Amino acid sequence: MAHLLKDKEAYERLNYLYQAAHCVLSQNPENVELARFYCFTQRTVARRLVLKQDPSVKRTLCKKCSSLLIPGVTATTRQRRKNSKIRFTVMRCLSCGQSKTLLNNPDYCLWVDRPEAQLEQQKQPGDKPQINTTQQLLSRCVV
Amino acid sequence: MATPGKPTKKELKKHIPTKTSFVSPLTPTWRPLPQQDMHFILKTLKDKLISVGLEKKEVKVFRPWKKKKDQKPPAAPSEPAVPQVQDSPQNGWTVVAARRQLAIGINEVTKALERNELKLVLVCKSVKPKHMTSHLIALSVMRGVPACQVPRLNQNLSEPLGLKSVLALGFRRCASTDEEVFTDTVDAIKPRVPSLDVAWLPGAAPTVTPEDPAHMEVEVEEEEEAGEKRGQKRKLESESKEITESSSSCSLQPLKVKKVVTNPARKAKKKVKT
Repeated sequence: MAHLLKDKEAYERLNYLYQAAHCVLSQNPENVELARFYCFTQRTVARRLVLKQDPSVKRTLCKKCSSLLIPGVTATTRQRRKNSKIRFTVMRCLSCGQSKTLLNNPDYCLWVDRPEAQLEQQKQPGDKPQINTTQQLLSRCVV
Repeated sequence: MATPGKPTKKELKKHIPTKTSFVSPLTPTWRPLPQQDMHFILKTLKDKLISVGLEKKEVKVFRPWKKKKDQKPPAAPSEPAVPQVQDSPQNGWTVVAARRQLAIGINEVTKALERNELKLVLVCKSVKPKHMTSHLIALSVMRGVPACQVPRLNQNLSEPLGLKSVLALGFRRCASTDEEVFTDTVDAIKPRVPSLDVAWLPGAAPTVTPEDPAHMEVEVEEEEEAGEKRGQKRKLESESKEITESSSSCSLQPLKVKKVVTNPARKAKKKVKT
């Protein structure tokens, strides 16, 4: 990969917006609009620059109205099941009513969490000097 | 293995396409529970349940298969009369008053938490997948209710209660102090529960309420210092300082990015040429 991140500022912006939305809701649980605006901006930024977001982030955003989903404040979470023993976790956004269903499969593992997807375990690409730089960059990346 | 100064062909072979994804720095996690406390909690709960004798009894009624639909209509008028008599003494919960003071099951615990009815929440740790119970962390922190993850809660409690699986348990608050079956259990377990922490919420110490202002001050100071150390841009620092001084603490967590190898099994979208 190029020098750590091509769009480091963009990622910083995503980070700031996401946390700002959380802070807004923690200080004023009624002000859902501002949090929604921040998350909407976050999504637009990611869409324009084609930045990937982790499922842990995407699962907390509503797909329709892009408001921040917090169980108890802006969303309700329930366990439901279809007759034939298939159980879901359903998150409903309170503002737009969009529901997000997650299947309760105990054996399912997200691609992001699997060991083969982790970069550190792969062989380092390139020669020694390049290896050093990638290691430095990786160590800088997760502070 | 590779000596420096190798030709570029090897670089290209070893080059693995990776993608960077923005990871959430704010996912709430449970606090680990020490072994002793875990055993203590499980033991107290089990003893209490057995002593109270709370159990759900279900009489297994032999139901003929639906293939025998012809025989059902003539037998129908006689059937509803018989099972109704059987239901009341045997089916259902043994101690109804105790059952009302507990919230058993994830949905019930979630609803009670939303309405702020609970004093203590216990969640099973050996839950797969984790997103089934992860929403309870943030909820219980917001309502100021102590909560903890106890491994093997499910295995230990499903037998005494006569249920298939118990993934979450909550003790309701009672308006009047009469008939509180579980108060002593709750008071015994509460001090052992580690306090939960969510980064973006005002640091709630759920166990002890009168010490809250002291806690808040301490945490605000700590986070101000942390903010200074982590501060990447000076403007952010000053802004976050002002916010911490005015009200609850919200310091900026550092950026977390994950580098992930692309999934080779993923089918590529076929490009449609118009």
